[in-house]
Amino acid sequence: MPYNIIVCVKQIADEVRIDPSTNEPVISNPQYRMEDLSKNAVEEAVRIKEKYGGKITALMFCSDSSTPVMKEALAMGADEGIIITGYKENSPDFSAAVLAEKIKSLQYDIVIAGYASADSYTAQIPARLSKLLGVPLLGSAIKVDISGKKIDILREADDLDIKESADMPAVISVTQETNQPRLPLLANIIASARKPLKVEATAVQYKETSKIISDKAQQSSRKRIIYEDINKGVQEITKVLKQEVAV
Amino acid sequence: MRALLFSDKLAFSEMMASLLRDGFDIDILAFPDHAADLTGYGAKEIKGMEKEDYAADSLADFIAGMSKDYDYIFIGATVLGREAATMLSALTGNVMKSEITKIEISGGKARTSRLYYGGKTVLEEESDAKIFTVSQGLVEPSRTAASSKTTKVVNQKTSKITVGEKIEKPSTSVDITKASVIVSIGRGIGKKEGIEKIKELATLLHGELAGSRPICSDYHWLEVERQVGLSGKTVSPKIYMAIGISGQIQHVAGMRNSKTVIAINNDKTAPIFQECDYGIVGDLYSVVPLLINAIKQTGQS
Repeated sequence: MPYNIIVCVKQIADEVRIDPSTNEPVISNPQYRMEDLSKNAVEEAVRIKEKYGGKITALMFCSDSSTPVMKEALAMGADEGIIITGYKENSPDFSAAVLAEKIKSLQYDIVIAGYASADSYTAQIPARLSKLLGVPLLGSAIKVDISGKKIDILREADDLDIKESADMPAVISVTQETNQPRLPLLANIIASARKPLKVEATAVQYKETSKIISDKAQQSSRKRIIYEDINKGVQEITKVLKQEVAV
Repeated sequence: MRALLFSDKLAFSEMMASLLRDGFDIDILAFPDHAADLTGYGAKEIKGMEKEDYAADSLADFIAGMSKDYDYIFIGATVLGREAATMLSALTGNVMKSEITKIEISGGKARTSRLYYGGKTVLEEESDAKIFTVSQGLVEPSRTAASSKTTKVVNQKTSKITVGEKIEKPSTSVDITKASVIVSIGRGIGKKEGIEKIKELATLLHGELAGSRPICSDYHWLEVERQVGLSGKTVSPKIYMAIGISGQIQHVAGMRNSKTVIAINNDKTAPIFQECDYGIVGDLYSVVPLLINAIKQTGQS
């Protein structure tokens, strides 16, 4: 049976440079890319659609209305895109509230999101969505099987793999091991330009819950004694090893 | 200030208790099998659950019922812990901070630190947070003289999900976080067979073999238990040897607390050379055999 799938996609700064004079990150005018596990989320949505049919809506909450990341999601196989603007960094509770507000207005059987994002790594979004939508969370899924309205997953939970199941509608979070995200074909990239894309500003009120005191690169106090002469290096490092370890 | 600690992993609860017992009056909520082991870690009370619960939603419901007795809730940042803490925050409306590495309470505000931008920076924040997930491996767990009172708590399990079979991962039961010498490999190794030579070095140094994310999670050349970095283990050995590891920030975040870092890499510009005490610029397949010989010789002298 066909499913209505909503996939949450995050964009993150491609590379965060550290300003050596302040030791702080430079985040003005960043180049954005699709967050690593968002790729796995889109891939899983496309695989489910390829198998059972249905419709995929890619949902992004970000600061700008036109983003190559949404185009990539559409080129990978999402059918339509919704961009919500008004993003605030470091506010997973706000992001989840905004996403949930939109998802509630859509028809869905499955919501898929990455387990955690590579930049902030709070891992809060899937669990918050589950609570805000009042639907089960099948989290950290490395394998997803669907039959009718039932979803079975294999969950990777640290040193355990756990079989879990729930009925739709449900939120699934995926990891890097769930699948291998596809690279969009050129023809699909071109075709994605014709797919429907809506942009809207969020109406959810932002409430500040924390204040940033500092955001600096960690200072390394390593000795940094580097040998380009291999023999000399081996000799000196053997001495260090000999001092520290009984060999 | 009263704090309740929980983790589904015993070692995590021990670590959190050791970290937090000086700043807070702590109680520990524990899975049935863990309760007895946790009595010597400075908690006033160990609340042993009647049954373990691997469903984040029912676990969060249960903790929410106890949370009014506590000023702060600390949950170990495991897969289950992160989800349960987040659901607890959603249920109670209390602010949550994830993956903290430091905490100080002052004037009713929580001042916390955590890694940001994939470990590139440290974000220091002040918030009204009452719920925290705690990063793993922040301190070495240590026992105290005082023992704890142990009680039993009855937990109901009403979950939206069905938890089925639990499969222990095929594990070598290796715990690299306890190793005093770690010899770690990265993509620079190039081929799986290359690991044999590195293994010889690790054995010689009485150390454990470890690897970066590509080696463990992408190529599966080493067990995932041996992965060092933001998405793997955080280690703090006496000697950390990074061989063929470029030193991506996600990796460095996992080995930053090592006492002495030694790097071998053929790329002079590799970031690992900024994060090491001693480094050799050269092909690891030339350097490692020389190093093995040199260690064997000094061993005999």
